[in-house]
Amino acid sequence: MSEQTFLVLTALAEEPLHGYAIVQAVEQLSEGRMVLRVGTLYGVLDRLVADGFAERDREEVHQGRLRRYYKLTDSGVRALQAEVARLSANVRAASAVLRGRGVQAWANKA
Amino acid sequence: MGEQGVSNLERRYRALLKVLPRWYREDREEEMVGIFLADRTDELDLEHSWPGWGETAAVLGLAARTHLAAGAALATVPAKVVWRGEVVRAMGLFGLLLSVYFAGMFITSMAYAHRHPEIVGGLTWTRVFDVLPIAAFIALLAGKRTPAKVMAALAVLPGLVALVDPIRMGVWALYQLPALVTFACLCLGFHREAPTPDARRFGWWGGGALVLGLFTGFASGLGLVVVVLTVVIVRVVAFVRRDFVLGRALSLLAVLEVGPIAFPLLGGETWGIALGLLVLVVICALAPVRKPRVA
Repeated sequence: MSEQTFLVLTALAEEPLHGYAIVQAVEQLSEGRMVLRVGTLYGVLDRLVADGFAERDREEVHQGRLRRYYKLTDSGVRALQAEVARLSANVRAASAVLRGRGVQAWANKA
Repeated sequence: MGEQGVSNLERRYRALLKVLPRWYREDREEEMVGIFLADRTDELDLEHSWPGWGETAAVLGLAARTHLAAGAALATVPAKVVWRGEVVRAMGLFGLLLSVYFAGMFITSMAYAHRHPEIVGGLTWTRVFDVLPIAAFIALLAGKRTPAKVMAALAVLPGLVALVDPIRMGVWALYQLPALVTFACLCLGFHREAPTPDARRFGWWGGGALVLGLFTGFASGLGLVVVVLTVVIVRVVAFVRRDFVLGRALSLLAVLEVGPIAFPLLGGETWGIALGLLVLVVICALAPVRKPRVA
């Protein structure tokens, strides 16, 4: 699973979101590292919908513009759960190696 | 603001979205425009800005993935255009197989040149690119798409560079066109969502193309004859087996080969053979393709 897909799934795990809210949530979750372009967002959303991990929810009109909401499916929750377990196992393994070298796992940000 | 309160930026973004398929735009355009303009409120920005390079690249990538859909995304594509992506990928794969064949011929001719040093002087270092399609094909079957595309790009690079030469351009372009078009098909068709070709099945195809090339390299002038005959045989097999994708891909490949085959008709000594081959490729290009029976 790509980082983009992981972050979009994470954003949708909390509540159904429309496209612009997903872009903002992903930027926030990644602490500004990832800013999704609209073309990229729809590539990710199409893939998630095709794989059955997300589905369309309601539609709203906001300031004359269409907003379509997307929500996670049960299958999407399971996919996110599996990815979190995989990443957590990697983090634990890397942390153990670093501890073995006498280095703390979490470097302080400047 | 322009007519009906639509800003120049919105107009430009909608123009960019025209690269997407109509069926996709009808469903998504308003939603995409809404997100793109969501935080653009500055009047000067709305009147004078253009969609950035990053956004343009993202939309072009989305266009490739929707026009040439693959995998689970195929379920969302209208039935009448669902074959497009499959045909483009088949053309990319066959183009690479042709390059593997020519690489085999090149290897044999190099071995021959080694025993006849008087002709080695005519070979330039750029000919090393001629064997790269073999590595590109192996990389593609191994699922390493970016290395496969980079190696295939290097293989067509000398042909592209030669296009700049105004003296050679016309004829050279004619001969380079099939390789350039099939390279474009390879790059566009094998996007992130496209499945990796079945290594076992296409490994045999690749091995066969290489062996055929190695043997054909002994006889000069046979290259294009073998290509045309192979295209004809596979085209017939596709017709009999009702393989629509293979049939359509071979038809398009045959169209690309018309130029190189027809050129000797302009006065070459081999015009008789060229005429025969030309008739075959035209039949391949125009013959009907059969769709599979619906169960």
